[in-house]
Order: sequence, then C-alpha cells, then structure tokens
Amino acid sequence: MNRLTQNSATTQYRFNFLTPLYVLVFAAVALMALVPVAALVLGSLRDSPPGQPGNWTLDNWANLASPGVIDTLITTIQVACLTTFFAMILGTVLALIIHRTDFRWPNTMTGLLGLSFYFPSFILGMAWIVIGSPGGLINDLIRELFDTEANLDIYSVGGIVLVMVLHQVPFVYLTMRGPVLGMDPSYEEAARTSGASAFTMLRRVTLPMLSYALASSTLLCLVMSLEQFGIPVLLGIPGRVTVLATQIYLLCRFPPTAYGLAAAIGLTLAALTAIAILLQRRLARGGQAVATTGKAGRITPIRLGAWRWPANIFCGGYILMGLIFPTIILLYTSLIKFFTGNPLNASYTFRNYLSIWESEGTQLATLNTLLVSGGGALVGVMLGAACSYFTVRLKPTGHRILDMLVMLPFGVPGVVLGLGLLWAYAYLPLPLYGTMTLIVLAYVTRFLPYATETAGARFVQLDRSLEEAAWTAGASRQTGVWRIVLPLSLPSLQSGYFLLFMAFFREISATILIFTASTSVLSVSIWSYFEQADWGMASALSILAMVLMLGIMSALLWAMPGARKR
Amino acid sequence: MGISVRDLVKVYGQSTVIKGISFDVADGEFVTLLGPSGCGKTTTLRCIAGLDTIDGGEIRINEQVVSNTATGVFVPPHERNLGMVFQSYAVWPHLTVAQNVAFPLTVRGVRDTAEAVKWALDIVGMNDLAARRPSELSGGQQQRVALARAIAGKPQVLLFDEPLSNLDARLRDRTRAEISRIQRELKVPAIYVTHDQTEALSMSDRIIVLSAGLTIQDGVPKQIYHEPVNRFVADFIGNANFLPVQRQSEQWALPDGTPLLVCPDTTHLQGDKITALVRPEAIQVEHQPKAEAQPDINRVTGTVLSSVFLGQHIEHLVSVSGLELRAFSRTPLAVGSEITISFHANDCRLLSE
Repeated sequence: MNRLTQNSATTQYRFNFLTPLYVLVFAAVALMALVPVAALVLGSLRDSPPGQPGNWTLDNWANLASPGVIDTLITTIQVACLTTFFAMILGTVLALIIHRTDFRWPNTMTGLLGLSFYFPSFILGMAWIVIGSPGGLINDLIRELFDTEANLDIYSVGGIVLVMVLHQVPFVYLTMRGPVLGMDPSYEEAARTSGASAFTMLRRVTLPMLSYALASSTLLCLVMSLEQFGIPVLLGIPGRVTVLATQIYLLCRFPPTAYGLAAAIGLTLAALTAIAILLQRRLARGGQAVATTGKAGRITPIRLGAWRWPANIFCGGYILMGLIFPTIILLYTSLIKFFTGNPLNASYTFRNYLSIWESEGTQLATLNTLLVSGGGALVGVMLGAACSYFTVRLKPTGHRILDMLVMLPFGVPGVVLGLGLLWAYAYLPLPLYGTMTLIVLAYVTRFLPYATETAGARFVQLDRSLEEAAWTAGASRQTGVWRIVLPLSLPSLQSGYFLLFMAFFREISATILIFTASTSVLSVSIWSYFEQADWGMASALSILAMVLMLGIMSALLWAMPGARKR
Repeated sequence: MGISVRDLVKVYGQSTVIKGISFDVADGEFVTLLGPSGCGKTTTLRCIAGLDTIDGGEIRINEQVVSNTATGVFVPPHERNLGMVFQSYAVWPHLTVAQNVAFPLTVRGVRDTAEAVKWALDIVGMNDLAARRPSELSGGQQQRVALARAIAGKPQVLLFDEPLSNLDARLRDRTRAEISRIQRELKVPAIYVTHDQTEALSMSDRIIVLSAGLTIQDGVPKQIYHEPVNRFVADFIGNANFLPVQRQSEQWALPDGTPLLVCPDTTHLQGDKITALVRPEAIQVEHQPKAEAQPDINRVTGTVLSSVFLGQHIEHLVSVSGLELRAFSRTPLAVGSEITISFHANDCRLLSE
C-alpha cells in the first residue's frame, strides 16, 4: 500500500521537538563514530604515548613495512582465512542437518547452539588452554596413562584456528539458518522428482541457491575472525603467534610501549575489516530476491538413513567440544588445589569461590558489569531506535550520512576502538578517562548497529498508514511516535535490548585498554587472573560469570517476550 | 464554508503529478474524485489532508487557508480537524476497538470519551465488539471501526481513500450505503477517492473525473453519465459504443453512408476527431421491429455475432453497417440471425476525442 515515495515523510513542519532531537542524535553519533577514528589517525602520527609531550612523526607508518608487522599481517590473514573456511563448512553443515533433514533433535540443538553463541570467546580460549597447553589436561593425561609425551600445543596457529572455529560456528549457523529455512521448497522438489539423489540435490540445487547467503555469511565470518581478540591473544602470546590484534595489545600493555605504532596498525586492521564489510553490504543488497520467495512451503526433510549416526556424532561432537567440555574443565579447574590432569589424583577445594565471594574487587567488577550492561544497553537501544526512526521513516536531510556514521564503527575491531578512545580522551577536555561513561560509550559505539538493525527492520515493516491515521485523527508527530510507533515496535526494541545486554556483558576487547581499577568489569577481572597464571581463580570467576549470565538471560527472556523471537 | 482547492500543483521528483486543478466542495456535499490509477486523485486527497505538501496553489478548509505555497502557510494534518478513512483501514492492532475510536478525542485531551465512542460505534453497529482487538475482527468490521474513528471527533471534513477496495462485493454494497448515510447525517463536506464507477455514481452529489493530473469533467452523476464531455469520460463510466462518423452537408452519417440522427445538443461540435457515443442499454435489438419507424429513432439492420448471458441481461455483439456494437436485451437471439437495432437520437451523442 506504500504507493507514495518518502516525499510525504519529508513534510516540513514548523518547530517541533523532533528537529532538535535529530540534531542531537546526529551530533552524538557523529562524535561517537568519528572521534576514535580521528584520534587514531592523530595518534599514529605521534611518537609518544597519549597525553605525553612528543613530536609529530611518520615513523609509525613507515614501520608498518617492517618485517615484524608484515609477518603479523600474513599470520592474521592466514588465521582468518583458515578459521572462516572451517567455520563456514561446519556451520553450514549444522544448519543443513538441523533444518533440512529428519535429524531427531532440532530444537535441542538450536537451543544448545544458542547457548554456545553466548559463550564468551576468551573464556573458551582459557578453557582450551587448560585442555590443550603443554602443561594442560591432555598432555598430562597422556603422560600418566601412556607414559609418552604427546606434545600437543594449543599455543599454535592450529590451536588458535581450532578454538576460533569453535567460537564462530554458532554465528555461521545463525546466519545460515534463516536462508536455509526460508528456501522455496519447490526448487528442491523439482530436483528430486527429476531423479536427483539427496546429495546431488544438495550439491546442485540447495547450495547454489544459498550462494548469496553463503557469500554474505563468509564475509561476516571473515570480519569476525579479523577482529578476534581474546582467543588469538591468550593462545598466541605464549606460542609467539601474533596477529594484528595481539600486536596492538602487546604494544600498549607491555614496555617498551608504542602507542603510535599501535594506532597505525589499528587503522590498518580497521581498513581490512571495513573492506570486507563494504563487500558484504553490496552483496546483501544484490542478492535479496533470490531463493526466499516468502512462500512458507512444507519442506520434505532429507532422510538421513545411514548417515544418521555420523550426523548425530557431528552435532554432538560440536556441542561437546564447544560447550560442554570447556565448561566441565573450567568447573574442574576451579575446584582443584593444584593442577593435575587426573581427576582422581586431585585434591578439591572451594577456596577459589570463597576468595571471589569476599573480594571487593570482584564485587565492584560485578556491579560495574551489571550497570554497564543494563544501563548501557538501554542507552544503546534508545539511541538506536531514534537513529533508525530518522534514517528509515522520517528521512530528513543528511539521513544517509547518519546511516553511514552508525555503521562506521561496526568495522572497527574492539581493541582498535579502545585504543582510539584512549588516544581521544588523553587530549579531549572531557573528564571521561577512568569513568564508567567511557566504557559505556565504547560499548554503545561498537554495538549501535545491533540496535539500529533490529529497530530499523521493524520500522520498515510498520505500514505508514498506521502513523498517518494518527496524524489525521489529531495526533502530532511526537504523539504519533509515542502512542503508535513505539508500542508497536516494543518486541523489536526488547530484542535489541537483549542483544545489546548480552554483547556488553561478554565484551573484553573494547575495554581492555581503557579500564581502570574502579571501572573494571567481570571480563577484565577474569582476564587479569589469567594473565597472572591464577587458573583456579580465573576458572572460578568464569563459572560464576557464566552462571550470572545464564540467570540474567533467563530473566530477560521471561520479562520481555519480544526478545524471544530470534 | 467547505473545501476550496485552487490551482493545485504537486511535483514528485521529475514528474508533475497534479498539474493545476481547482474545485469546491460545499458544506454537506459528497464529492468523488474518480479516475484511473496514476491520475492524481489520491495525491489530491493527501494534499487536502496535509499528508503531503503542495507545490503550487491553495487549499482552504472552512475559509481557513491550510496550504498555500505563495504565503508559505502550511497547517499540519493534526491541526486540520479531519476524519480520514484509509484503504488499509489502519486500525491500530495494539488498541481495542473502543480505544481506537476514542483516539481522536484522547489526543485532544478529552477525558470522558465513553459517550462519544458509544455514539460513533452505534452508527456503524459495532458497539458489542468494543472490547475486541482488531486482530479478532474481519475486514469489514475493521473498516467500520475505521469509519467510527473518523467520525468520533466530529471532524469538519471527511476524507476517504478507496476505503472499500479491500472488501468483497456484497460487503462493499452494504458499507457504501452506510458511508452515504453517515455523511448525510453529519452534514460535513466529504471527498471520496475511488476508481470504481458504481461507488462514484451511487454515493456522490458530484463527481470530478481526473486524468493525468488534470480535471476532465466536474458534474453531477447524471451529467457525467449521460453528457460525458469526451471519449475518455464516456469510456471510463458505464459501457459505451463508439461509432466513427462523418459529416454529410448538414447531417451526420456512418462510414458507409447510413444517415445517423444525433442528439441536437451536440451537433455543433467541430473538429476532425468526432465520434458518436451510444450506450448498449439504449439500443433495442429485435428480429422484426414491432412499431413503425419514428422520426427521431435511428434504425439499422444487421446480424448477431455473439450473445453472452450475464444474468441481469444478455449482451449481444451485433454487426451493423460494417461496425460492431454491443447491445443489451432480455431476449436471447440466435447467432447469425438478422436483426434490427433502434435507438433514439438523444441517446446518440457526439463527442470529441
């Protein structure tokens, strides 16, 4: 029914509060998006740490060509490509098994994969270090049971790729699930009735039909791999496998520091991810109308037959390696006095948990985490909804620029954003360094697109005539938004809040460079324990954090029915 | 009083959708904007509602200027005191029927809405469904809620944007009658947009036929139907036969020379492109003419090409003087039989193209 273009939306009104709101939102998003990037550029041209006196220099950019950085760049690309390759295959196969065949437990798998999605990356990394490091579980067990050295080393490219794949498979699954479910079944049915076997049909019809979704998902997966921080840093430093994110961290945390070089590297990494994202957006726009016709037909599931048990083992195997095993290991590690691979030999204790319970630092970190997640998500959703309303409905002058500004930080890796904020607030007069506001700012900047995409998708669906009916019935624009648009968008706003809350809770990379003792959050506390090689405390706090996260997740889903639709 | 539109111009991007139309709607009058898709009728309605700004001309409602490009005046929709019914009903799913209908009152700060809501729902016969939500209602019921909402605030103008096009035929008839009744009771000026001629003919005090952004004809339904100003209007409303004609000294004739008696009002037409309009219901078809030839009656012989039973009447396609005409009758005629058609001269109007 939308037969008229957006001209009606640009009807000029005399003064109303939407105009100053637009200006405010535009300014806020512009600052949030541009300040860190601008600060990075400036910082890359300095030869001293942020806030210290120094000179302008081009050395940092010259040093990008040094063998060290080039090596790191190559490693980054290697790791990213390998991870993307395997994660895409595994994730897509999972999506096909669960939603295209007569696999027996689709709902269970979907739920478990959802849980795996929320498993924080660095905690997964930690668990696998306990499992696979030279002094870890597997090596210990093999030494004891078979009296030989297995020499398994998780501190390697292979190890990093393994854990990164485990972390990213749920993401691939989630992005491929929609297209797999939404495919028009008649194409496949035509193939089957023409005599194609299930495999042939998959190979020659299903996968080609999914090609746009696959390409789009691959690019997003690649971006995720390039941005990864927790896993490559935790597993890479001991084994001297360095990716760009690691290098930035090393240059900022350990003397001799080189913040300027870190800024230059950060911008390079951001450029890589930005290219991938631009490609993905172009692709996503082009391939809209292909396989999903919207006809929700009944799909005839593929009979697994002899492949049933391999499929079961595959699915179960992933859940085991990506969710259950790491959790059990962390639980185990948190309860033992001294590390040993043999649970029968270990002495058990609750002291780690008691320590945490009494620790003021941890209590503060927990409070901070809840504040940042709960309050920050609220700020994010409101800002995101406002941005979306302007870019999707009202479309005033400059809305396209606003749209770009919102998406800009999406391509910037978390650690790079953190570095940018570090540089920015060393110089800006605002007393934000060392405050919770800075952390919230970092998180909201990074994840704003989550909120705008969920709210925006809903605003687009809302028939314009629903708002126009309000106007012709005597409601001003503002009243129309308050009484009609917002109530009807509530489920999407709830969904956005949930996404943001979960993302903020798990986040480590954007915080790791800008936190202080008083603004520490749970993820940073866990990280710190691990850096001090206090595996027991790190594991215990991880378990507590995950229990807390699960609890809050359930509470949110119960309180906000709209967030359940994912 | 009423609505006044002067030299309205509306431009969308590169194209001028409304090229300068003017009309008035008197207080209590029901005017239909009729025309094919893309003629600008919905745009005109939206400009009057204030949902779109205008690029030229002036719109007044009850003597007050609401849109004027020269002076830059623009009154936003919520200050124009309208009642508008949308094609998609636009009934809000998160509010009950009663809350929907009360909306025009609650936004103006009226506390006690129960009586007004009851009055409005009574008029549309939806009072016992007041507590339901729109998702529990049928299309016709939702449309009536939209209607009740439009009148609840006692608007000064009623606007309808193709409100019946999503309803089935039976429901359309019933709702049509209701809308007419309501408008007459409220005595407010109403503008109704449609491409359906039955709605236009049955409901309107006046019809304005639009095409490509311009007014083609403005008149009462009878005029539009019986005295169309050109071929477009004649073709758009009702069924029509168009006969090519040529002048033979003071008379008119069909291409094969058969003399044609035409309506005296239209004999003055000049120009090359003239056709004669004869509506099928005005043509009598018989095997043998019963009466004698009358001076004002055209009579031509021909053959039946086909007959189609349409329930109300039978539509015959006949070939006379080398032309094919459609005619309605209630008697079946065999294909190929010889017949005589007759029609009164007044039913044969000359039109310019």
